[in-house]
Amino acid sequence: MSKPMTVVLGVIGSDCHSVGNTILNVFFTEQGFKVVNLGVMVSQEEYIAAAIETGAEAILVSSLYGHGEIDCAGLREKCIEQGLDDIILYVGGNLVVGKTDYSLVEEKFKKMGYNRVFSPEFPLEDMAELLRQDIRKRRQERENKD
Amino acid sequence: MGDYKLSEQEFNKIRNEVLQTWPTGAEVDFDEAVEYQKAIPENKNFAKVLWKAHKNGVTLLQPRAGVALIKDHIELLQYLESEGEADLLPTTIDAYTRLNKYENAADGVEKSLAAKTSLLNGFPAVNHGVKGCRIVTESLKVPVQIRHGTPDARLLAEISLAGGFTSFEGGGISYNVPYAKKVPIQKSIDDWKYVDRLVGAYEERGISINREPFGPLTGTLVPPCISHVVGIIEGILALRQGVKSLTLGYGQGGNLLQDVVALKALKEVANYYFKKEGFEDYELTTVFHQWMGGFPADEAKAFAVISWGTAAGVMAGADKIIVKTPHEARGIPTKEANAQGIKCSKQVANLLQGQNILLGGRYQEEFDLLKREISDLMDKIYELGDGDIEKGTVAAFEAGTLDVPFAPSIYNNGKILPMRDNEGLIRIYNKGSLALSDEVMEYHKARLEERANYERRKVSFQMVTDDIYAISKGRLIGRTK
Ligand code: B12
Repeated sequence: MSKPMTVVLGVIGSDCHSVGNTILNVFFTEQGFKVVNLGVMVSQEEYIAAAIETGAEAILVSSLYGHGEIDCAGLREKCIEQGLDDIILYVGGNLVVGKTDYSLVEEKFKKMGYNRVFSPEFPLEDMAELLRQDIRKRRQERENKD
Repeated sequence: MGDYKLSEQEFNKIRNEVLQTWPTGAEVDFDEAVEYQKAIPENKNFAKVLWKAHKNGVTLLQPRAGVALIKDHIELLQYLESEGEADLLPTTIDAYTRLNKYENAADGVEKSLAAKTSLLNGFPAVNHGVKGCRIVTESLKVPVQIRHGTPDARLLAEISLAGGFTSFEGGGISYNVPYAKKVPIQKSIDDWKYVDRLVGAYEERGISINREPFGPLTGTLVPPCISHVVGIIEGILALRQGVKSLTLGYGQGGNLLQDVVALKALKEVANYYFKKEGFEDYELTTVFHQWMGGFPADEAKAFAVISWGTAAGVMAGADKIIVKTPHEARGIPTKEANAQGIKCSKQVANLLQGQNILLGGRYQEEFDLLKREISDLMDKIYELGDGDIEKGTVAAFEAGTLDVPFAPSIYNNGKILPMRDNEGLIRIYNKGSLALSDEVMEYHKARLEERANYERRKVSFQMVTDDIYAISKGRLIGRTK
């Protein structure tokens, strides 16, 4: 059996929306991931500390309440500072204030350094498959480097 | 009736501290604020307008709305007043202010100015101060309420009431448990005691200020007995501090029978407990919230959910309905989308106004069941508090005998799991430590078994998940495909 895939999960900033987080926690666990769930109202520092402590391969950021643009900026830079250069960053939810064309949202968050950006309706099974692929690819790249 | 009122001395001591937590606190001068409030005409006073509607049997409509900048916020509210035909207006507060992060809110204001659009999810009233609030309330013709989700709203209350707002939403439980992670229940109850005492102080000077505990809690499959008990407790705590105009709320579940029963029972049971606690002199009204959980992204479908909510609210005899918008699933609505939500609701409300709906069948059975559930939960609270509701509430959360589903607070037990039965009524699948009697739970279990048999699957957590998504996917009950 291969090493379990560890992911850090949480809702960023001052956001209290806990329902989606509860579901994602159960879902990823059922899918075989090792989930480190930080719940709601998570600071960038808390994600990073948890990722370092558990050796996580991805951080899954949720933002529902609209302040995503302010709260999510700078996480990639902080990860790099802390030596998590190639950690996979996913972000999903209602990321900006107001009903906005998804491609604009995706562009904005990709520029911030997120590897993948998800709308609330994106099928969870497909997303889990992408995550597995991305983690495998990262493991491969790391092996090649050594 | 004991004397629970926060003493003047204690109140003033806290006030001195609170007003110093942000520079705009210095703008508050209570005596001046009382004079300012006195000059506000009756038709702009929330408590008076709502009570008049109550006596006339009319259901008023109110949207949610708030943006970062004063000018844009006024433009938005004026649009909802004229084009949207709103009877009552809100000022929804942004999420940084709700957590007393005024520096972040200031940053959000700056960034919104630069981006020429609101980057905040509400109006940062503390940052805009008494002066900013007065510019807003003076620009409108109808009463305006502060709507938020703030565990410690002491400064917000001081500034906004001095700023001409005449209603203030929230309470020590309903604005903590669904909205915060690490605020002890006793702390938020104490901070809301201050808010209620402030409202009481205005009342003593002849100014009516409406208070509205937040009924829907997490908005997600909350069994009515739980939200009702929270509303009753917050009502008692408010009355103890001198609040006179009280509006209790309930979030739509989706099954018409359950919703009508719930709102009717709320009024009856609240009056019972208020009288039991020795209160006679208050004005009780009700608010019905259109569906508070996940919405369909399709706008036509969202309008259907909005219409159904209005229908249920009017049939239940609500004094006020809080309306949603066709953008709900996606983001803070534009002013146009927000106005559409109100207009859609108004059309339905007007069609139904005055119709006498006969409810027979299981009405009485469900009514009695809900009353029984509430008394189970309340009895335990009185027992744990040796007769005192406040002490009992803190103990009940600690013991989990009162528990809110899906809430983020670490001070909430978080074990209760709700689920819909075969007709879509919200029942309890796992009670955790909720103080519900075996008899009540047997009834819930039987109803859920009915559904499980119909769907040919076992009662399980998967059903809870399916129910959470159901309305957003076009149905009331999360059936298997
Ligand atoms: C229920 C609800 C509430 C409840 C929350 C209770 C709680 N503690 O959870 C209450 C009533 C308390 C509430 C409060 C507020 N809310 Co609210 N709320 C909702 C609502 C109706 C449903 C959310 C929900 O539970 N959905 C069900 C779950 C299962 O879905 P989900 O949360 O979307 O999560 C799924 C996906 O997004 C995805 N996902 C999420 N994260 C991630 C991450 C990754 C990596 C991936 C791949 C996928 C993914 O997977 C999840 C599971 O399927 C939504 C609107 C809607 N969707 O219909 C608004 C909404 C999210 N709320 C909103 C706002 C603004 C607020 C408030 C700030 C108040 C306000 N100004 O209106 C406050 C929050 C204060 C704070 N500090 O956070 C806005 C956000 C606006 C925006 N982005 O422009 C929304 C969109 C409503 C709206 N249109 O205005 N809310």
